[in-house]
Amino acid sequence: MSTITIKNVTKAFGDVVVLKEFDEVFGDKEFVTLLGPSGCGKTTMLRMIAGFEKPTTGEIHIGDRVVSSDKTFVPPEKRGIGMVFQSYAVWPHMTVYDNVAYPLKIAKIPKAEIKNKVESILGVVHLSQYASRYPSQLSGGQQQRVALGRALVAEPKVLLLDEPLSNLDAKLRESMRFEIKEIQKNFGITVVYVTHDQTEAMAMSDRIIVINRGVIQQVGTPTEIYQKPANQFVADFVGKVNFLKGEVKEGHIELVGLDQSIPYDGVYKGKVVVAIRPENITLIPNGQGSLKGKLLTQFYLGDVNDCRIDIGGEVIRVIAESESYGALQENQEISLYLKDFLVYEDDGKDDHTSIIT
Amino acid sequence: MQPSIAPSKKRFSFDFQFDVMWLIMGAIILFLLVFQVFPLLYLVFRAFFSTGSFSLEAFKRVYTYPLNWSALRNTLVTATLSMFFGVLIAFPLAWLVGRTNLYGKKFFRTLFVMTYMVPPYVGAMAWLRLLNPRVGNLNVFLQNLFRLESPPFNIYSVGGLVWVLTTFYYPYAFITISRAMEKMDPSLEEASRISGASPLRTLWTVTLPMMAPSIVAAALLVFVSAASCYGIPSIVGAPGQIHTVTTRIIDFVYIGSQEGLTDATTLAVFLMLIANVVLYVSTFVVGRKQYITVSGKSTRPNIVDLGKWRIPITVLVSIFAIVIVVLPFLTVALTSITVNMGRPLTMSNITFKYWERIFTRKAIIQSAKNSLVSASIAATAGIVVSLVMAYLLVRTNVKGKRIPDFLITVGSGTPSVVIALALIMTMSGRFHINIYNTLTIMIIAYMIKYQLMGMRTVVSAMSQIHPSLEEASQISGAGWLRVVKDVTIPLIAPSVVAGWFLIFMPSFYELTMSTLLYSTDTKTLGYELFTYQTYHSQQTASALATAILILVIVVNWLLNRLTDGEFSI
Ligand SMILES: Nc1ncnc2c1ncn2[C@@H]1O[C@H](COP(=O)(O)OP(=O)(O)O)[C@@H](O)[C@H]1O
Ligand SMILES: [Mg+2]
Repeated sequence: MSTITIKNVTKAFGDVVVLKEFDEVFGDKEFVTLLGPSGCGKTTMLRMIAGFEKPTTGEIHIGDRVVSSDKTFVPPEKRGIGMVFQSYAVWPHMTVYDNVAYPLKIAKIPKAEIKNKVESILGVVHLSQYASRYPSQLSGGQQQRVALGRALVAEPKVLLLDEPLSNLDAKLRESMRFEIKEIQKNFGITVVYVTHDQTEAMAMSDRIIVINRGVIQQVGTPTEIYQKPANQFVADFVGKVNFLKGEVKEGHIELVGLDQSIPYDGVYKGKVVVAIRPENITLIPNGQGSLKGKLLTQFYLGDVNDCRIDIGGEVIRVIAESESYGALQENQEISLYLKDFLVYEDDGKDDHTSIIT
Repeated sequence: MQPSIAPSKKRFSFDFQFDVMWLIMGAIILFLLVFQVFPLLYLVFRAFFSTGSFSLEAFKRVYTYPLNWSALRNTLVTATLSMFFGVLIAFPLAWLVGRTNLYGKKFFRTLFVMTYMVPPYVGAMAWLRLLNPRVGNLNVFLQNLFRLESPPFNIYSVGGLVWVLTTFYYPYAFITISRAMEKMDPSLEEASRISGASPLRTLWTVTLPMMAPSIVAAALLVFVSAASCYGIPSIVGAPGQIHTVTTRIIDFVYIGSQEGLTDATTLAVFLMLIANVVLYVSTFVVGRKQYITVSGKSTRPNIVDLGKWRIPITVLVSIFAIVIVVLPFLTVALTSITVNMGRPLTMSNITFKYWERIFTRKAIIQSAKNSLVSASIAATAGIVVSLVMAYLLVRTNVKGKRIPDFLITVGSGTPSVVIALALIMTMSGRFHINIYNTLTIMIIAYMIKYQLMGMRTVVSAMSQIHPSLEEASQISGAGWLRVVKDVTIPLIAPSVVAGWFLIFMPSFYELTMSTLLYSTDTKTLGYELFTYQTYHSQQTASALATAILILVIVVNWLLNRLTDGEFSI
């Protein structure tokens, strides 16, 4: 059993609190991703699980063993975890074979068995023919596989990955996603994965934990996170979104300053923010639909048509089918149908829009 | 039409810049050829052609003389032992200061690095006072403490020489190893921890092997510095009749005869050979093996928790710092205010007359002036060369730009005695240049020996400026000179200042080369101090040494301030 239990963990460096009251259980064999903008505390969380940092307060359990608390602290080498570092951290003075064999040598496993295990892992990460090479003779992607092999070879129950793909080029990144996911399923291990790339998180995770400024914003499956973002930050960080300010009236929301409204019978009263994903808007012939506007620009992207539409004072983004590109003209009056939208209470803060991803 | 003029104008300025570069590079190479390459080659020639045709006569004569053999042996033994102990001290210190939660590690770091800038003969003076076989303060103290029959140590011995050499050259290793450790990606060590290795095992299987090339380079540096040191063996060794190659060379030169010069040359060739082999090994063999492990994203080093050892180890390091750094410096400072060195330092035994003397005696002031002038000129000329070299190396693809770089490196790797001797042999009229007995020869010697430090500093600063910063200025309409003035110079200014002081300081208190090159009108501070120490008054010498120490500390502090802690010497 290799659940990871994080009990109310807070981490501060000096006076600066970088993680606040983190409380979550990662299930056995689960693929959990910590997702958030750079500097939000993801690496810090991962390093606390690994044992490179001590929580300021709170406890961490791996399985039913307490690894960090007020009274106990298990050093990294005693935690039986595999970890892949962002900079690969492959030792340049050892061959690929020696790099991968290292954890087994430390564990004093017989030589013959080490050989078997290393060879089988090198097969898994497609490096069999490179065993005797030195890392300087390998490409970035291959070094990454060495790091992965080294993390897996001792058959840990928990694997931690800190932005393992961020130094690879786009094509390689996509194929590695599937490989890592495959390995996780086959080995049946619990994975904690750190990234700031939302598509990576969506593609791989069983559950995503969205963090901002050291505070958990939402925990959920990729679909939940995408379709029901808990707040404006999550809506904005995961996927694309248009925000419009509005006020709830009888059965509809009046959009502030736009002289337009959309039907609504939800729970919120008073001032609200409406969040509409660009792909949830359909362009339809003038005169129908809930919103009216004028097409400002359109960009043909091959698979879609990326449009900017002025709805009477605010410009919103609409991602339409690519066929619409030929049918529409700039400055054309147009109607919009909203397939789906979300409503949040307006807390008066606009800072979610200043997130840089 | 306008546009047709613009490109041609641009090309003109490009050509112009290119020619100026060639010119400056030519001048630098010429300077190095005349004042460095030629003299050194002549030295070798002289050793083998002492009689006019090729002969090993000179070698035979020199190396059959038992005193020379013992000098050679002493040099090799003391340098090897200092290398061994120096690294043995430096590596754990570098690791403790760089990778653990040792108390006060920043302070210790500054303290150890600062020793590097203190002239080695100060250490010799201090240890002489502390471990003199009869009246050494520390000897007497230990004898009383443990009720010994006789004083426990004798500084006038090979052991004493090794001791002082080690305490003054281990900082070379400390700095080299610390730098390499800082550059190492800490996740390499973390990867070992998470693989199940304890901190000690990680140190052994990852940190140490990764650092091996730097450790070898550091060891070689200590070896060659100790082997070419003159100040320490001349103060510590001479009273006990312990000669080294450097002291023998200078004795031979002082004999003044042609035969004496030939003998000095022959010994110098031996020293030069050692230095060149070491330089070759550390740049071309070890240098190649240096692992490039600077990670893309800077992670903070994983600090090893010393746990229950934290206090004991901090105490140990403190004791080390007190014995190796504080005690000798304090001894020198106290000596400078002692009337009678044989008596304890009571109120009646305190005087400031030696301090008064160093600020009033004409001869001392004149020597200080000489040193100030020659060191300032050497530093300024050296930094100009450094700037040009930095530009050449980092920003251009001029063919042959490695040649002056190589020559400067060789020059700095050559022992001081050898440089000075080679200059004496060639620059005193034999080849139509006679600058012997002038400050010029001193300045040239300082430049050859020390400008590398300035060059390294400026080059590393320059290579950290991305060319796009300069290009951005150019695209905004600035010309070549304007770009340099608006962008390049402001960005490298701190390192230029630091580089200037790195050449200035060692030139200012230089001893070895000055001892060979001085004349009655061109005595230097180092030489003045040395004669006071050996012949007239140790207190006056100590006052001078203390003044130099204070200067080192002030300059260090100033540079630290000036550059936000990025540079110190
Ligand atoms: N050792 C440390 N000392 C001080 N501040 C730190 C340290 N490690 C991380 N931080 C700070 O904590 C915050 C979170 O860092 P990190 O966990 O690395 O973020 P992420 O991985 O999400 O980009 C950052 O503001 C960072 O500067
Ligand atoms: Mg991070």
